[in-house]
Amino acid sequence: MEAFDYILSISKVVLILVGVIQVVPIMIYVERKVAALIQDRPGPNRVGPLGLFQPIADAVKFLFKEDPIPLNTNRFLYTLAPFLSLLPACLVIAALPIADKAILFGREIYIQITDLDVSLIYILAIGSLGVYGILFGGWASNNKYSLIGSLRSASQMVSYELPLGLAVVGTVMVYGTFSLREMVLQQEGTFLGFLPNWGIFYQPLGFLVFLVASFAETNRLPFDLPETEAELVAGFHTEYGSMKFATFFMAEYMNLATMAGLMTVMYFGGWHLPWVKDSQLLEWLGSQNLLCIVQIITYIVKVAFFLFLYVLIRWTLPRFRFDQLMELSWGSLIPLGLINILLSAVIMYFTGGKV
Amino acid sequence: MKEAAFAFFSLFTLLTAAGVVLSRGVVYSAFNLVLSLFGLAILYLLWGASFISMIQILIYAGAIVVLFVFVVMLLNLEKPQDIAPPWIRGILTGVSVWGLCFILLRVFSRSFGEMPSVEPQKASVRMISQLLFSQYLWPFEILTVFLLALIVGIYMLARPERETPHESP
Amino acid sequence: MENLIALAVLFAVALLLCGAILAITQILGPKNPVPERLGTYECGVKPEGNPRIPFKSSFYLIAVLFLLFDVEAAFFLPWALVYRDSISAGPELLWALLVYLGLMAVGLFYILRKKILKLN
Repeated sequence: MEAFDYILSISKVVLILVGVIQVVPIMIYVERKVAALIQDRPGPNRVGPLGLFQPIADAVKFLFKEDPIPLNTNRFLYTLAPFLSLLPACLVIAALPIADKAILFGREIYIQITDLDVSLIYILAIGSLGVYGILFGGWASNNKYSLIGSLRSASQMVSYELPLGLAVVGTVMVYGTFSLREMVLQQEGTFLGFLPNWGIFYQPLGFLVFLVASFAETNRLPFDLPETEAELVAGFHTEYGSMKFATFFMAEYMNLATMAGLMTVMYFGGWHLPWVKDSQLLEWLGSQNLLCIVQIITYIVKVAFFLFLYVLIRWTLPRFRFDQLMELSWGSLIPLGLINILLSAVIMYFTGGKV
Repeated sequence: MKEAAFAFFSLFTLLTAAGVVLSRGVVYSAFNLVLSLFGLAILYLLWGASFISMIQILIYAGAIVVLFVFVVMLLNLEKPQDIAPPWIRGILTGVSVWGLCFILLRVFSRSFGEMPSVEPQKASVRMISQLLFSQYLWPFEILTVFLLALIVGIYMLARPERETPHESP
Repeated sequence: MENLIALAVLFAVALLLCGAILAITQILGPKNPVPERLGTYECGVKPEGNPRIPFKSSFYLIAVLFLLFDVEAAFFLPWALVYRDSISAGPELLWALLVYLGLMAVGLFYILRKKILKLN
């Protein structure tokens, strides 16, 4: 590898990471505005036009706040915990294929940080490390609420990792690969003549299981038992303040973006426009780079749709009770995931490999 | 480049593994264990065994250590307790370390020489899968029966009592 | 190898980001530690006893069951990878799945029947 490749690699990483981090302020704004809309109040409207600069003001405020470390905590783990959440959230982005390729400086550049042959398991595996930030954070805080919150949260996250893994198995069966890039490439064109050739039409049950499990995995509201305000003050981050508190939130929103991105890739054709083949589009646009931009926009629109869905559901559904939560995972989602695998296997067998 | 990365992560894995044993708090031990297992996964990745590497993170770093941390939190083991006088512990440690070394050396000395020579880059996921579900199909199915037995066994060992002294969290 | 370098770069950048966040708050934030601020926050009530209270064993059971089922689920992944291409060769892999799935379902049914996960 030459120096040029390194520069390319670094710039790609920085661009994609910065791009994904942008999800955080945008989501905070959208979430507050939608909440306001649903609860019939104006929402943020003081900073900038329509309150658009509110997230920036929030960020600046977080940065200028005092960052105290309570005396009874385990200082080392207390300081480390938010970053143990953020680090996996940053790392999982690597496997998401955002668009096909661009041609710059006479080279083909894939719009994806790395194309591992096991990128799907990579996301599941690194994602499963996110639980440590919550566990250690809750334990190090030396606070009863934090400890209970973190234990609940950890049991929830591990219980919903299973349905997530099982739902993914169905998709792997259909496409016969772990590489997300290859998965997207196989979703081009039409299915049965009139539907887009997307994963959701092959794996409707798998998608449902994945969607529900992804809510729980990211600790979003119908499943936000770790932070039930009424019972546990703020759950595992009760003792956190300033930017450390914000770091937990950054990690949460980035995980949300990853889940939305993964759903887009596995079930909604990734960067493909519905019905249109890339080769036709290339002929029409006449340039690979232009096509790449169209693909990136398509991908972002699809991800934005799922993020908006997350926000809508957060503000419309009430919270589960803890035993209902466990019952839903072990009693419904895991059996459904197994049934999905069985059905897909049998159907694939009788149609000879094409679902 | 690759050698340097390999040396660095080997050292990292060994140091954190030492940290597991030497840490005073049990939670710090668990934390070091996560780092050590993660380092091992990176070593696998450098050898080209990407599937094993990911499974290493998914199962070991992501599930087994979570279990350890749960136990630490549940039992509230902040400081290790002295279960026996130092000389008994010394003897026990010595015997178990010696036994472990013996077994490991035994296994290594037997398997050297008859190691199947597979090019590391070619040992892909697909190859592992094909071997697992053709040549090793029966061991695989028997393993499932073991797992089932484990589920039943764990229930028998840890089944919740009828009356619990603490109010539920 | 190129893949790994990209990963390493991402890891380094992410670490840098974490370090920057930590450093910036340390530099910009005021420092005015007062005892009230550094105490444990339990809604204004003085903390009683050891916060690291023992828990019900149900949480432990969840963790162990998760571990076992995670191992079982992990075995689905290599199977799923080769299944599509093996269909033309015969139903061996389908049978392998049916046996495996059957045993796993028995385990799941067992823990659901025993109501282990009823935490209250």
